[in-house]
Amino acid sequence: MEQYVAGTLSADVALAVATHIDLCPHCQRVCQDIHNDQADVLASMPLEQDDTDDFSALLAEITGQPQLDKPRQKAARELVKVQINGREFAIPRALSRLAEQQGKWLQLGGIATAKLPAGDKMHVSLLYIDKGTEIPNHTHLGLEMTLVLSGTICDENGEYGAGDLLINTPADTHTPHTRADEDCLCLSVLSAPLKFNKGLVRLLNPLQQFFY
Amino acid sequence: MTISAESAEPHIRTGQWEDALTFVALHADKSAYAELFNYFAPRLKAFGMKMFGNEQQALEMVQDTMLNVWKKARLFDPSRGCASTWIFTIARNVRFDMLRKKQSRKDDISADDLWADGDYPELEESATDQWETMLLSEKLAPFFDALPVAQRLVMQKVYLEEKSHQEVAEELDIPLGTVKSRIRLALDRLREALDDTRS
Ligand SMILES: [Zn+2]
Ligand SMILES: [Zn+2]
Repeated sequence: MEQYVAGTLSADVALAVATHIDLCPHCQRVCQDIHNDQADVLASMPLEQDDTDDFSALLAEITGQPQLDKPRQKAARELVKVQINGREFAIPRALSRLAEQQGKWLQLGGIATAKLPAGDKMHVSLLYIDKGTEIPNHTHLGLEMTLVLSGTICDENGEYGAGDLLINTPADTHTPHTRADEDCLCLSVLSAPLKFNKGLVRLLNPLQQFFY
Repeated sequence: MTISAESAEPHIRTGQWEDALTFVALHADKSAYAELFNYFAPRLKAFGMKMFGNEQQALEMVQDTMLNVWKKARLFDPSRGCASTWIFTIARNVRFDMLRKKQSRKDDISADDLWADGDYPELEESATDQWETMLLSEKLAPFFDALPVAQRLVMQKVYLEEKSHQEVAEELDIPLGTVKSRIRLALDRLREALDDTRS
């Protein structure tokens, strides 16, 4: 959380954290406190003796520029929604701008993914899982972060509801699935592809850029 | 903070920076801004040196941050937090965007990275038959069938019969390299085919 506030997390990871914070009042408060602390550190930073830079030219240059006008009260941004499988999901603020630029949904059985234009190092996408659907057993070649936006995901380790963040590493193998009566929308951030373990589904390993 | 007598630093009272920002916002007050500037610019530079370890970038951050403070002063809302928090936020965002700009984009997944020479671990878990049928019937089957015979044969042995590349090479009496290149060609075709179905 400190790293998130300081802005030292990688962009893709920060996106998942920001989206969680949108959904979690507890973390909103924690975040505000950390933010204030870090600002205090900056404001009370002692100066070294040899910090004798002459900033006067910069000062003059800046104050020579026009200021921006206060914008009119921003109309509350309309909630972005995504549609998939005949369902409509409201998207948290942190994801709104990106979700508006989502790629096409690629569907395979009960699973659909749409790329978000966020990743440089990581693969960031919306992941929709229909009710009663299982993602085949897989291992992770890197970091997998799954933030549940709506519905519930279950795997061998537990159940996760809206706002919950699942983090899996190369040490983890699992078979996530939805409930029989409820579908699920997630934000998925992958640093490396998944590795499917069983049978023909392994074909997804080399082809998976089309599905994830 | 303790302030010694010989320190050049101005004494700070609560609300001072908030007031200064308000003057800057309302009257484009240059002396109020200079006060803010003289206090925060060197601290931002020290902060930037810690973050970047590089003077030029630290100075760039100071410049962008302080320019934003001047330009956007009218957006500062004292009811939502202190001036220092606001300035910190601007600096954090400036720094983050500077780093983003420097990073090169895109990494691509190569099939070679994934290919552990045909030996994938077999797990006890229930096979997902539902998935296999879907995968084959819905997406890949038509393209699979359209592969050249030699490629299809290799793919079938590797993926359906779960043989290693080496086993397939021996069975068909072809070099290992040929097995690999056929697989690669077949995967390329499947990729292209899938890509076409997207639009
Ligand atoms: Zn939380
Ligand atoms: Zn996983």
